[in-house]
Amino acid sequence: MTNRFGLPDLGIGLGLRTKHYAHVLEERPEVGWFEIISENYMQTSGRPLWWLDRIAEAYPIVMHGVSLSIGSTDPLDREYLRELKVLRDRIGARWVSDHLCWTGVAGRNTHDLLPLPYTTETLRHVVRRVREVQDFLGAPIALENPSSYVEFAGSTLPEWEFLSTVAREAGCGILLDVNNVYVSAFNHGFDPDEYLRGIAYDHVVQFHVAGHTHNGTHIIDTHSSPVIDPVWRLLGEAHRHAKASILLEWDADIPPFDVAWHEAKKAKAWIDRGAA
Amino acid sequence: MSDRKPMPMCERVGPVIRERSSASPASTTSRSMTPMRAGPRRSPLPLQLDQVQHWFAESITNRAPIDQAVLAAPILNDLGDLERVVVGGPQLGALERMAIYHHGYRARLVECLADDFPALRAALGEEAFERLVHLYADRHPSRSPSLNFFGRHMAAFLLDSGAALAGDRRFLSDLARLEWTLVELLHAEASPTLSLEHLATLPAERWAHARFASSPTARVLRFAYPVNACYQRWRDRGELAPPAPEIGATLVYRHELLVWRLDLTPAMTNLLEALFAGEPLSAALEHLAAGISNTDELAEAERTVMIWFREWVQGGVFARIDLPAE
Repeated sequence: MTNRFGLPDLGIGLGLRTKHYAHVLEERPEVGWFEIISENYMQTSGRPLWWLDRIAEAYPIVMHGVSLSIGSTDPLDREYLRELKVLRDRIGARWVSDHLCWTGVAGRNTHDLLPLPYTTETLRHVVRRVREVQDFLGAPIALENPSSYVEFAGSTLPEWEFLSTVAREAGCGILLDVNNVYVSAFNHGFDPDEYLRGIAYDHVVQFHVAGHTHNGTHIIDTHSSPVIDPVWRLLGEAHRHAKASILLEWDADIPPFDVAWHEAKKAKAWIDRGAA
Repeated sequence: MSDRKPMPMCERVGPVIRERSSASPASTTSRSMTPMRAGPRRSPLPLQLDQVQHWFAESITNRAPIDQAVLAAPILNDLGDLERVVVGGPQLGALERMAIYHHGYRARLVECLADDFPALRAALGEEAFERLVHLYADRHPSRSPSLNFFGRHMAAFLLDSGAALAGDRRFLSDLARLEWTLVELLHAEASPTLSLEHLATLPAERWAHARFASSPTARVLRFAYPVNACYQRWRDRGELAPPAPEIGATLVYRHELLVWRLDLTPAMTNLLEALFAGEPLSAALEHLAAGISNTDELAEAERTVMIWFREWVQGGVFARIDLPAE
């Protein structure tokens, strides 16, 4: 199934990291696309943009944000949205994504992806704000399922149902992070396959995979290691339902470019296996 | 400060601006806790979304231990109410789950400022640096979508916070100001700069009235301690011993992708500061001698002023020349 927005399948990509900049520009590796953390290139006019401009000339770029705070009860930050739009237009980003979360309230940014209570009140709130953001940007955005460490006692919907309903009602895309599905499934004791069965795949425009840190009693989403096989299996399963772009995130203990890219390319074997 | 021509020191690698990402800090809780076992499930507290968010934000940003922090906002009567807001599980109680976010909030900010102030961190030691960032985050919480400029108040905070610091407050502040300038200049817009070719076209009779506008990627910093040399020693050898006080100044500028640091003589400092303040060259040159009692030094300054100019222009320190209408 292709997504309802007509957004292209860019193949396998990698999160763009500063330590790989020179390698990417000098060696021009055959990466399908790069994803940037939007905020790293906002409120700056200097070196980060110098590199990004040049890399964007050679590769498709997708913007992935961490501060949209779509679920916050603070008003949407119009200046942030304006900057996001300027950056998107500057580099010709294929689409913009962020997380189904909130990052702060009362003006303070915690710079964390905080969980939402999944209720009808929250649903209405998020749908309204997604529409507002999409109106401003003039394009659909994609929302990613976050990894989480708490669930709220007042939640009345499972996350997969909440996410799919937001996507359908607001007309936005889904960035399905199968590592986050795995992490949250362990932390909250649900079945990751049930999660995947509940996703509105015609809204899925992108997948994320990443490594995590298992602490025995819980898993932290650290993006600091290779992807484990059970997460790859979830990707293979989900990709059967949505032929969307795949991206490996590696944010801590970042290895040399070739190591990260070798890891990302493993996705091919797992989606082939899922398709068989 | 030496009177010989200072050699520029370059950030060949430059302070790496760390990616702020969606990943969580690796460590979990700051102290061990016995999991709170879930008792019989009680009904959820009837909270609106904004009540939940204000409580959650207060709980994870409050510096008190998590079992006190969750009670800081007037939502829970006691810890027994916690599971009426947040669900615990058999392996990890609700309080421990909250502790992951509580710890993550400060760990992320420490990580961010450790990237921006690596020498300050080396000067203070890891634990003291962490304590400092905790106090700093309480005084200057982030209100921006990006963490790129979270550390902008650090130099002033070191001077006036009253935080207990091992080491001279002024030295630490000077060091932080130098490191912060490196960060700022990496983010500053590189506008077109004055070229030697353009400078050569300036008729001799108009030099006196010329104003040399500073580039947005150049700063003159005055220090009470020789922090530039100290910083360079730390980069070269990993040593960071607090030096004796020594008044001086450093020109920090970005040329293309590299940030350079150039210690200035008092004469150079006076001249550059006057030019950066917008004074015409003739007036700026009058400042050259201010505070210089050594006649040899002054003679040397007057002899080499054109060499400095040439180097500053080559380094892109000036954006342009502004001339009054003829």
